[in-house]
Amino acid sequence: MVLVKLYATLRGFTGEKEISMKADTVEDVFSSLVSSYGEDFQKKLESATVLVNGQNIAHLKGRKTRLQDGDTVSLFPPLGGG
Amino acid sequence: MAYGYMGKVLEVNLSENKIDSYSLPDKTLELYVGNKGLGARLLYDLVPPGIDPLGGENALIVTTAPLTGTGAPSSNRFNVTTKSPLTGAIVDSNCGGNFGIHLKRAGYDALIVRGKADDPVYLDISDEGVQIKDARDLWGLDTEKTQEQLPDKTGKMVIGPAGENLVKFACIVSEERVAGRSGVGTVMGSKNLKAVSAGGNKKPAIYNEELFKEACKEWRDQLRSHPATSEELPQYGTSIFINRTSATHTLPTRNFKYGQFKDADKISGETLAEEYLVKNIGCYGCPMRCGRQVKVDEKPVKGPEYETLGMLGSNLMISDLQAINEWNRQADLLGLDTISLGNALGFVMEAGEDGFIKTDLAFGRSDNISQAIEDIALRRGLGDDMAEGVAHLAQKYGGEDYAMHSKGLELAAYEPRTAVGQGLGYAVANRGGCHLGAGYVVFLESNGPITVDPYTTKGKPGLAVFNQTVLEAISTLGSCNFTNYAVFPEFLLKMYNRSRLVSKVVNNSLMLGGNQFGKFMYSPKGAVLPKKVFHHPFPHIKAHSHCTGNEMSPEDFLKLGQRVFNMCRLFNAREGFSRRDDTLPRRLTNELQRQEEPRSRVPLDEMLPTFYRLRGWDQNGIPTERTLRKLGIEK
Repeated sequence: MVLVKLYATLRGFTGEKEISMKADTVEDVFSSLVSSYGEDFQKKLESATVLVNGQNIAHLKGRKTRLQDGDTVSLFPPLGGG
Repeated sequence: MAYGYMGKVLEVNLSENKIDSYSLPDKTLELYVGNKGLGARLLYDLVPPGIDPLGGENALIVTTAPLTGTGAPSSNRFNVTTKSPLTGAIVDSNCGGNFGIHLKRAGYDALIVRGKADDPVYLDISDEGVQIKDARDLWGLDTEKTQEQLPDKTGKMVIGPAGENLVKFACIVSEERVAGRSGVGTVMGSKNLKAVSAGGNKKPAIYNEELFKEACKEWRDQLRSHPATSEELPQYGTSIFINRTSATHTLPTRNFKYGQFKDADKISGETLAEEYLVKNIGCYGCPMRCGRQVKVDEKPVKGPEYETLGMLGSNLMISDLQAINEWNRQADLLGLDTISLGNALGFVMEAGEDGFIKTDLAFGRSDNISQAIEDIALRRGLGDDMAEGVAHLAQKYGGEDYAMHSKGLELAAYEPRTAVGQGLGYAVANRGGCHLGAGYVVFLESNGPITVDPYTTKGKPGLAVFNQTVLEAISTLGSCNFTNYAVFPEFLLKMYNRSRLVSKVVNNSLMLGGNQFGKFMYSPKGAVLPKKVFHHPFPHIKAHSHCTGNEMSPEDFLKLGQRVFNMCRLFNAREGFSRRDDTLPRRLTNELQRQEEPRSRVPLDEMLPTFYRLRGWDQNGIPTERTLRKLGIEK
């Protein structure tokens, strides 16, 4: 089981902070979320940054990144800070 | 006729009670434009080296830019430049709000305050005249009460008790916005200047109204369509970064001992929005509206920014968001920089644990912090020492390895051991440990939508140079740095996220080509991207050109940023700053953030030589004659 954490407007969209799910890859997480929250959410996911245990999947294997039990997958829309 | 500019600078000498106004040479304005660029040039010219920042010889310089007050989006910020009493280096502190607009309405592009009044005074500036007025009745008032006493419908800049008591990190408050860093409020207090009020009916003229309006509309549309600037910032403000920096181990926790806070969500932007937010508020003319309004004692007041949440929250192991809201308000009323404040508190907590300082302040303990904040502002007990900043505290009591500052300016809320480019940036930023002067490289390493390996040093010097240059140019043109968040268009983000090939190419280009970014700014061709492509991330250029009639090319834009960065460095070099001052605390360079990650420290010495080379400096960190000549900087 992995823990998927949602942040910023992604939270508002889904009404969830955290979702536990079975997933072997990041792609599985995406499929699961899209089937729960629909096409509009899919559009938001396209520009979202995905971290696995704090690391950007762009430095791992992208959506093919394999997940292990206990991993945390964090999803952020494009943010501004200061 | 001047376009964009009002054509006059106001100079007030408080020792001699003299008021003067004059025009600046065209060449100066052409080279340094406004805001921090102009501030740096004027400070260098007006203030001889080696003077006491709290003495009458220091100048407090408030500058605007041609775009200020013209209707260009998010471009009404004003700047305060002076010699810092905290660091002895230059400080340029940028502020939102409407003071800049009102100063221009009164007919002035800049205000220069020199000398020192015998008794507390305030300046009343209108298009009918300028008066130095008695402020003895205002002295002692908090910043809110002070502003309430000043004329309605004017722009205001005030200090609170902290500035009056010469706390070294006292700030200037304007409406609910703050020029926070490095003691600009202290300098104002040292001149016995309690407040400035400005207003009038003048307006800057625009060179090409039609093209200018079109350029501003395009710019506004861009900000309104990008998710970062149209959804996340308006809904959550900068506070939205708390969970992101914690997830990437870049959130200062326990006096920068760690980079992740287990209670980050309790002090996050999401929690702030859900449980405390009354509404979002914005600077005049800004579509992003990133300001927060929360309730403290049933009164709607300004809510905390990311920096405050980090420095008074995770940095102190505090997870009580309501308490942070209260301390933020208290700091604003007293006129204290929350970044330096959080660092001072965190340092004392750790030094207390180690037995260097006798204190009841402790990580995770919130009941005695409000008292400590007041003690600092009023310089009581240990507060008197804390008012001098962490460098002083460490020198007096010990604990230098974890006095989190560079050049005496306390570090901002980004832990750089998981963003080593940011670490380099902190060490070389002109005003000291400033995240923006650093180039905000952490955005490309940990927190932005496109990030490179945060631990590699490859390309980081070049990315720091490029980012610093861009941010200097944006600020100098009068715009808010947040206009830069729309720099990666959404289609690029989608491609980056979707395609492994694209993300690999982008990451490797940034890493391996990063240093080339620094190099090509000096090439005869300058910016290599075609104008049209360059204008997309930098709409400031078109707006500025149509506003002033001075056509600015991408090369000019980058050169401007280079010039301003080097002008500030030259000021510091003249004060005796060099490589030996480009440092970080040993905690960051010598102590691993996480034992399981052997790269989690900042290898500063590996990056400095390349940075200096790309900046066109010698290996002692001093700009070479050739660099100064290329940029048109006169010594």
